[in-house]
Amino acid sequence: MDFKGLVIILMGSVLVNNYVLSRFLGICPFLGVSKKLNQAVGMGVSVIFVMLMATAVTWPIQTFILEKFGLEYTQTIVFILVIAALVQFVEIVLKKFIPALHKSLGVYLPLITTNCAVLGVTINNITDGYNFVESMVSSLGCGLGFMLAMVIFSGVRSRIDESNIPNSFRGLPVTLIAASFVSLAFFGFAGIIENLFA
Amino acid sequence: MKNGKLSVLVKGILKENPVFVLILGTCPTLATTTTVVGALAMGLATMAVLICSNVVISLLRKFIPDVVRIPCYIVVIAGFVTIVQMFMHAFLPELYELLGVYLALITVNCIILGRAEMFASKNKVLNSALDGVGMGIGFTIALVAMATIREVIGAGTFAGMEIPFMVNHTVDIFIKAPGGLMVYGFLIAVVNVITKGKVIKKKEFSCAGCPSAGVCNGGCKNKKEGE
Amino acid sequence: MKNYIKSVVALTVICAVVAVLLSVTNFVTAPIIEENANAAANEALLIVLPEGKDFAQVDLSTYELPATVTEAYTEAGGGCVVKLTTAGYGPDMVIMCGVNAAGEITGATCLSSNETLSYEKTYGDNVKGYTIDNIESDLDTVSGATMTTGAYKNALKDALNTAIILGGGSADLRTEEEKLADNLAAALPAGEGKFTKWFISEPLTDVSAVYIADNGAGYVLVSGESYIAVDSECNVLTDVSDDVKAVMSANAEAIKSSEVTELDITGYGDMPSAIDKAYKTASGNYVFELHAAGYGINGDKYTKSGEYIYLKASVTADGKIIACETVSQKETDNIGSACADEGFYSQFNGKDETNYGDIDAITGATITTNGYKTGVSKVFEAVKILEGVA
Repeated sequence: MDFKGLVIILMGSVLVNNYVLSRFLGICPFLGVSKKLNQAVGMGVSVIFVMLMATAVTWPIQTFILEKFGLEYTQTIVFILVIAALVQFVEIVLKKFIPALHKSLGVYLPLITTNCAVLGVTINNITDGYNFVESMVSSLGCGLGFMLAMVIFSGVRSRIDESNIPNSFRGLPVTLIAASFVSLAFFGFAGIIENLFA
Repeated sequence: MKNGKLSVLVKGILKENPVFVLILGTCPTLATTTTVVGALAMGLATMAVLICSNVVISLLRKFIPDVVRIPCYIVVIAGFVTIVQMFMHAFLPELYELLGVYLALITVNCIILGRAEMFASKNKVLNSALDGVGMGIGFTIALVAMATIREVIGAGTFAGMEIPFMVNHTVDIFIKAPGGLMVYGFLIAVVNVITKGKVIKKKEFSCAGCPSAGVCNGGCKNKKEGE
Repeated sequence: MKNYIKSVVALTVICAVVAVLLSVTNFVTAPIIEENANAAANEALLIVLPEGKDFAQVDLSTYELPATVTEAYTEAGGGCVVKLTTAGYGPDMVIMCGVNAAGEITGATCLSSNETLSYEKTYGDNVKGYTIDNIESDLDTVSGATMTTGAYKNALKDALNTAIILGGGSADLRTEEEKLADNLAAALPAGEGKFTKWFISEPLTDVSAVYIADNGAGYVLVSGESYIAVDSECNVLTDVSDDVKAVMSANAEAIKSSEVTELDITGYGDMPSAIDKAYKTASGNYVFELHAAGYGINGDKYTKSGEYIYLKASVTADGKIIACETVSQKETDNIGSACADEGFYSQFNGKDETNYGDIDAITGATITTNGYKTGVSKVFEAVKILEGVA
């Protein structure tokens, strides 16, 4: 296993191809749950967790079942059901065995089923032709990137709340414009990766 | 009654526009609006899925038990998305390549699940179909509007055709990620001005019934504050 | 309980119906999708070989091709398209390259890749017209993306070789070392394939390199393009004209009688510090091992790794360079590193104190070149000191 390749996948998905800020996957929770730092961290951790679990399950399903029997066309439906079931399962397990963790993450879990970042990462791992380890690393990177964006943005939003904004821009519009600037900042990472490891 | 049907159809276009008023489906709105063609394709694909799923869910509304309704809806929606995917792959391969993963992600577009839960599961087949058409048109119009702004300013073209002058004076950032967020923000602000904030009340109504309210509650929470 | 069963039944029925619908749709669309994919593949073939027609896929198992080749197509006009999978910065860079009947690249494109920058997307635009003879020397890689574009260039070379093989010719897939080993073994079979390069410390005529068989069977003298074998008794074995035989035999005598003794240079207080070791041959020539400061060490400033260029030079007693060779260097890759090329250092052969500066500098590496020249100039000083002239 080429360690450098894995680091590049990881850094690439955290910084350059950040799911939220350059691919717009998972933009809903990004705008919705990034108001407070602790919320942002809670959501971020849950997403990382579910992304890793989902990839660990969907990759073998795709490779050993769907591709083997020529059922690739059911990919979307199978993946979304797996994710939905997984989220339910994780919630039940957490509630029963680790109530403390459930208390902090529980509220975010149901929201993740329809989070397009999770479905997106599982499908992208397949289309990018990653092997199992690479898929897991890429999922970790996407999750970390999501959390990074959330945490940074929660800081930006706390400033917006304190400022005087024209009426028609209150609420979502100004949030989107702020997000646009954060996204612009992430543009600076494009192209650094190869030179970073050259 | 006839009037009622018309209003079901029309409300999705402006009064309850899914993109600018209900703030649903932000992900495709931002990701596929770099070109007018892509936006139109995305809008129409979503509309097709929306109409089909609305009709089927409305037909099955008595059959589907309440406890498992969300999984049932998801299966139906994912099924239609896959069918649309396969047809596009077969007959419109360029568009299929252009939309990429976002085509599969129609499955988790909250517009579709939202309309299934809020409307189709409570209304007759014809009304549900009309609702699907209206919402679909509203979604498509919103996407094309955004794509027009972004493509004309960002690439100097409209649906691939070069526009004199603009093509030599492009503002690249408009077709990049930050430009998408910015244009979306400004458009919502414009709609806010036009509707004089009436939007805000509608918004709360629609979110309350949305199963994915939690996911897109960013919009709701913000609106409440805005008032 | 009843509700529970009803839920399960409902969900199962819906899943089953959807599954049936999907498989029906798949049954309808799958052949069309496959057809499209084939058409798209042919279109890709046309992009890299626009004048091609009637493409036919080649059965790769019947040829011995470079390992990177995954698919190959020939066409009616005698050209071919080669699909290769190589690794640049990331794994699995898939390149398609068209070669026409004249052996020129007609186009190349990257079908898919995992590179972090996108140089592989545009690099193929500038490769048209290159042939196997000039691609190595004339096609540049992109600085800052040498891993990506270097892999691309190697893939293009493989494609050109594949075109030659598919055209019925035989391409040389051997590396330079393998070629040399084959040539040596062919010239002097008695050497059993084991040769050591001999550093030329005697003035030889028309010889650019000398290899001595490890088992003492004889010598192979490289003269121009030909490899001339001479046995240990100095009889020329290769079939050449009598004049050449006489010259080569004399050369071999010189090599055979050459014997070097290391000199103690510590006694010479004014010996240049660049000279590491000095040897004297039986015929009165000198061999020096020395170091020169290139870009690695520019004067006193350690600008890079701090490694000298180490070289070897043999000089006649009257100060004329017989041969010069770079032993090791750590100059900047693809720039100063050219000082290790034979084409560079062999320029010093036959030069003396008055004209050693008249050599072509390495492009873009003035500091390396000047450092090298300064190093060589120390040899002339050293010879004067050892000869007692200075």
